[in-house]
Amino acid sequence: MNNRTTAWPLSLRLAHWLSAALVVGALGLGAFMVLAVHNAATRFELTQVHKSIGAGVLVLALMRLGLRCVIRAPKPESAARTVAILAKAVHVSLYFLLLLLPLSGWLMVTSTPVRVPTVVFGLFDLPYPLAPDMVRFRFAHAMHIVLAVALAALVTLHVGAGFVHARVWRDRTLARMSLWAD
Amino acid sequence: MDCSTVARGLGAVCLSVLLCSVDAHSATPAQGWRIDEAQTSIGFTIDAVGFPTTYGHFAHYRGRLLIDFDRPVKSYTIFTVDAASVDVGSPSFNDFVKSSALLNVERFPTMSFVSTQVEKIDAHTARVTGNLTLLGVTKPITFTVDVATDPAAKGRAVAFVAKGRIQRSDFGMKFGIPLIDDALQITVKTRALSDE
Repeated sequence: MNNRTTAWPLSLRLAHWLSAALVVGALGLGAFMVLAVHNAATRFELTQVHKSIGAGVLVLALMRLGLRCVIRAPKPESAARTVAILAKAVHVSLYFLLLLLPLSGWLMVTSTPVRVPTVVFGLFDLPYPLAPDMVRFRFAHAMHIVLAVALAALVTLHVGAGFVHARVWRDRTLARMSLWAD
Repeated sequence: MDCSTVARGLGAVCLSVLLCSVDAHSATPAQGWRIDEAQTSIGFTIDAVGFPTTYGHFAHYRGRLLIDFDRPVKSYTIFTVDAASVDVGSPSFNDFVKSSALLNVERFPTMSFVSTQVEKIDAHTARVTGNLTLLGVTKPITFTVDVATDPAAKGRAVAFVAKGRIQRSDFGMKFGIPLIDDALQITVKTRALSDE
């Protein structure tokens, strides 16, 4: 009998890596455009792209949660209890942030008095369900920044853990998520 | 934006302080003066919270100037600006500025300025008051105009820098307040040339 743990289903692996690309893109672009772009037109254009990517992150997170409900996750590599608990906590927190961060951005763009339409990847208009409100906007803005920093920290931890699994403990945790996993 | 409209209006006023009749768009000479389009810009700036200062200008405008150096009070100007010619630096940003949230160019394709009073403050400064029409609303506005003759041109070239400020909410443009400033700075730089 083969003792090797099985890989994640292809659908979840694809969703994971696409989500990873979008998250890194949204975080990097968000930080760059706010901290380094001082030209109004460029900031405007990048903000539109950032909003589209954020919408993609939200859609993918919902899709992944849906898939997790119908597809059983493969049995994890054996690990110390504390490591397993920590890993679970990080993964659950990542899912929460993948939902809350784009939602806080959505709350920003619907609450701000500077209501610029969000045409997601040029395909459709993101609905703005709430009326502008400066107090709510300031809250959403603060939450967006805090959640972004938290997500960046968790992503760093997540990537670091993958490296440790692959290179230090030399188990299949990272390999099972590879797009080329067998 | 309305800013640029104002700016155009200001520019027109400035020219009127000193000169004759000029069509800025076609640069048709009038009474011996014409606008040096290469040295002309009708611009505006507006600040915002958490967003870089936006600089914009209007590419298309038409203006007429009646300028009387000896009796500045007789000077007069009318400027009309093509709202859709606004340029804030990128196509999608331009489209947003042209939308109903701001310039609403479909409903209000032009902005205009008509001077009502030109006063000489000193040898290098004039004050031009007039009516600015933006988004269908007409309000008085005053511009301070710096006037400089070009010694090298032997009196055949006069440069103007007109500056004015409006509260855009006066014209019904309330979008983005208070994150985007209500105050809008208009700066018109131009140069009038004499063919005589």
